[in-house]
Amino acid sequence: MSVQVSPSSAEGLWRASAGLSERTRRLREEYFSFNTRAFRNEVMPFSTGKPWDCVFRYASWTIVPEMMLFLRAYEDSLAAAAKTVPLPESFWREPLIVRVALFFSEILRKHLPVDILEGELIVGAQFNVALSLCLNRHEARRRKKSAERFRAAVCAASDVGLGNCGAVPGHLIPDYPKVLRLGYRGIVEEAGEALAEESDPEKRDALRAFVIACKAGRALAARYAQVASQQAKACGGARAEELREVARLCGRVPWEPAATFHEALQSLWLAHMLVLTCESYPGAGVSFGRIDQYLYPYYEADLAAGRVTPDEARELLRCFWIKPNYAYDYQGRMGRNQGINSSFGQLITLSGCGPDGEDLTNDLTYLMLSVMEEMNLLEPKPNVRLHANTPDRLMREVCRLLARSQGAPFLLNFDETSMRALRSEGIPEADLWDYAPVGCLENTRQGDDRSGTVDVNFNLAKPVELALFQGKDLATGRQLGPRTADPEHMERWVDFEAAFRKQLSFCLRRLVELNNQADTVRAVYEPTPYLSALVGGCIENRRDITAGGARFNFITVEGVALATAADSLLAVRHLVFSEKRVSMAGLRSALEKNFEGEELLRQTLLNKAPKYGNDDETADAMARDITRWWSEEAASLTAPTTGRRYRAGYLSWNYGIAYAPLTAATPDGRPRGAYLSNGVAAVTGMDRHGPTAAARSVASIGPEAIPNGMSHTISLSPSLVCDEEHLEKLAGFLRGYARHGSTALQINMIGADTLRKAQQSPDQYPNLLVRVTGYNAYFTNLGREIQEEIIARESQRS
Amino acid sequence: MSDVEATVFSIQQFSTEDGPGLRTTVFFKGCPMRCPWCHNPESIAPQPEVVWHGGRCLNDGGCVAVCPQGAVESGADGISVARGRCTGCGDCVAYCPASALEMHGTRMTAKDIHDRVVRDAAFYEESGGGVTLSGGEPLAQPAAALGLMRLLRESGIHVALDTCGVAGEGVLGEAVGLADLVLLDLKTANPANHEAWTGVALDRVDKAARLLTEAAVPLWVRTPVVPGYTATENEIAGVARFVAEALPHAERHDLLAYSNLCTAKYAQLGRPFALDGVPLLFPETMERLCEVARASGSMHARWSGPTRVAEAAAS
Repeated sequence: MSVQVSPSSAEGLWRASAGLSERTRRLREEYFSFNTRAFRNEVMPFSTGKPWDCVFRYASWTIVPEMMLFLRAYEDSLAAAAKTVPLPESFWREPLIVRVALFFSEILRKHLPVDILEGELIVGAQFNVALSLCLNRHEARRRKKSAERFRAAVCAASDVGLGNCGAVPGHLIPDYPKVLRLGYRGIVEEAGEALAEESDPEKRDALRAFVIACKAGRALAARYAQVASQQAKACGGARAEELREVARLCGRVPWEPAATFHEALQSLWLAHMLVLTCESYPGAGVSFGRIDQYLYPYYEADLAAGRVTPDEARELLRCFWIKPNYAYDYQGRMGRNQGINSSFGQLITLSGCGPDGEDLTNDLTYLMLSVMEEMNLLEPKPNVRLHANTPDRLMREVCRLLARSQGAPFLLNFDETSMRALRSEGIPEADLWDYAPVGCLENTRQGDDRSGTVDVNFNLAKPVELALFQGKDLATGRQLGPRTADPEHMERWVDFEAAFRKQLSFCLRRLVELNNQADTVRAVYEPTPYLSALVGGCIENRRDITAGGARFNFITVEGVALATAADSLLAVRHLVFSEKRVSMAGLRSALEKNFEGEELLRQTLLNKAPKYGNDDETADAMARDITRWWSEEAASLTAPTTGRRYRAGYLSWNYGIAYAPLTAATPDGRPRGAYLSNGVAAVTGMDRHGPTAAARSVASIGPEAIPNGMSHTISLSPSLVCDEEHLEKLAGFLRGYARHGSTALQINMIGADTLRKAQQSPDQYPNLLVRVTGYNAYFTNLGREIQEEIIARESQRS
Repeated sequence: MSDVEATVFSIQQFSTEDGPGLRTTVFFKGCPMRCPWCHNPESIAPQPEVVWHGGRCLNDGGCVAVCPQGAVESGADGISVARGRCTGCGDCVAYCPASALEMHGTRMTAKDIHDRVVRDAAFYEESGGGVTLSGGEPLAQPAAALGLMRLLRESGIHVALDTCGVAGEGVLGEAVGLADLVLLDLKTANPANHEAWTGVALDRVDKAARLLTEAAVPLWVRTPVVPGYTATENEIAGVARFVAEALPHAERHDLLAYSNLCTAKYAQLGRPFALDGVPLLFPETMERLCEVARASGSMHARWSGPTRVAEAAAS
């Protein structure tokens, strides 16, 4: 990290553009007025009305430790609030997957409210639901038993800091280009043809369900067309004309193929929105894929035919842009401090390479970046794909947008590294170029891949604790892992390494076995036929996506706290076994006391052992070894019910916080409660050689081991981007990062607030560098007055 | 030559202010000049120096015990190092669990330095950057500096030399032959001031300037703008005329605003700072001096560095 102090012109904060149209400005303002607006897309539970009915899916939420305490309360209160949907008696004679499709159809035809907001050009407003699982009494009883067993077990594992898992919805890219190209009609025809030649009853049920679900989508669009027509009659002037056009559009798409750019956007939004509805999930990780690529032909054709001007296209995109944000409505009224607190990652992917490494940036890429900037909303969150042939113009635009932002407005994905990573899980060579990320940065194929990218989250620091204490959890004294050898009787490092590997393997397998339960419950009891119809492989396999119908099926184990684990093992190896500066007994006793009265030892651990993240080959090799150990084992495991293969990733979301108090003090000098490391980044403050060294350390882990991709965050000083000359340097850094770095990079700009934090907690920021020409100093070493001066200068800039 | 050792006090990766592109700056320890405003006081003495960061110290006294020379002392003001007795062996630094003792200056061979900095080659290539030798004065350790420059050239890495121009006979000429870019620090063009402020006669810089011009090596000139010394229109105009006449091929002339960030470092080294408490310059002053420089013939003058913020102390 470095803060460079220089007197460049002050850039404004990254805020909504003054250039927005009256229409979109109003929509945007209305969106943010959570407490006063009448329209809210808040969760609507719908039940079959049976006493055993359930409208809540534990395994959708068991990867959120903060929610675990409340899972049953959610289940009960949603059930109590649920509206009963009248169903014909014949409903109960159908198999489960058909019941689910019929219920979805009832909701879309009669119950889901249809709202068109003032000025909207893209419609589709209410989609947040909790739909009945449609189980009969017998199914409900069996499911409850399995789901309850899973819930109790995953909470127990999470409570001791092992990690968590669940059968998480979303986190995939449906085949939206197919919807645009063929319409639901084409999908229904395809399923119909399959049905005609299929004799297996179970497979026929699945195909029937897919057809019912797509037809239901058409019915909802027709309701929007009707409301638009009614509103058009009630108002006059230009708006009436717009509403008539909305009515015309919704009468056609998504049932018919999209013929224009406007139709494509409308079709895309409804198709996407109903994915969120069918999964009863507000949309985390349901991603759009390479939107600038598949929308471009519609844009280009409209321009050529004079059907749309670039300004009109921009306005349509703005109207589209705000739609995914309504997924947050249920958080909006939680209060100023607790409001919208993280983005859902309905990602869009921009730019990137083609099959021969050629660049695919087009006019829509730039237009979308511009709309993103002027709308300034949390969603949809763009990932920009960079590669060796990224044009200078895009690179400059990316750097300029980074410079103007406080937190990065997008994530950068690096094609060459990402493709190397995906190759290792067996994605066909010819298809690698067309990957896209979901959620945050998790790489998958587009349209036919469910990779369960956040299904298993594995705290790698926990096996360190278990290896040190022979499998015991230090907080509870419970025997969690195998009883490995007593470290105090070990004479060689390899003995300790062996104990760690045993615990690592044990923890991984425990989480995977737990997750297999969640995967099974979902596969057997929670089909999502509408989503299945939109994901490649499900029609061919005549199988629901939850049962493994997608062409590509993985479950990702996301490693958490890699650097904490690596630095801990490095400290043990270096200080205990090599230098013998610290005794194992002394170390264990200090960890048991959480370093109380052991500051000398803690400082020794912090300062006298090698640390990952500094382009030090010996230290970085430890992170690589740990990665290989668990990722290779994960890749050998398969979920029994669905046949989905496990794969590795390093997206640690915010688990470094959740599991901080549940992980004992670690030999890297971290006390219990201090945050665990994030993604593949170094332990906070331990990367002291700047971004290039950090990038090389990350690269040394080897993306081949991590098909999902790895999260890396760095902080840069605003003065690095203070002028054109420095923007070029940032571009050079990104081009270098493409050669030596992670699959994905998040760049944060250090502002005055960070400096203030560093002043207050110098321990957390020992590496914060202040730099002027020919001079550098660590911020925390400066006197208070000079610190104040620097903070004041940075405050003035923003 | 590659096994010749240098005393280096910092190797700064991701350096953005010492030449084009992204660079690694290698700071050599030891300088022939004695500028009172020096930003890097730890760069002046040629030998390694131990400093103490009081805020990190745990006061366990271990450093006093391990010093073979008895040079580390514990007193009412904390730890102090008797510079006369300290041999720079580093035992106290190796001991100190809290890193409260820090060694400014490490002995490294040119090969070691090369192998370390070459690791960022991809970033140099992609950004048009490279490696900058700075200090102190890198040419005060000529064998190691030239050895490093040669190794870097062999590896195809862009080499910039940041120098005050004062070097032994023939050294600058050889160095210029190995450099892709020279950053010449030119403090003042007034002979009396130069001698008084830096302790070195202007003649020697003048000679260096002629050599650089003859060699026609790409050149950036850098002038510190220091209140009470060089921050006057007269001074800057003089420097600008010098650049125009003696260094006509300079591509850039950077006026570097005085920085006070080094105050703490002087305290750690136990030396007085001549500019202690002197406020930063105003941006308007820098703008005006920059205009003066251009008007006096230094056409590529520009300025950078920290400047004063109104009400800074109040916040």
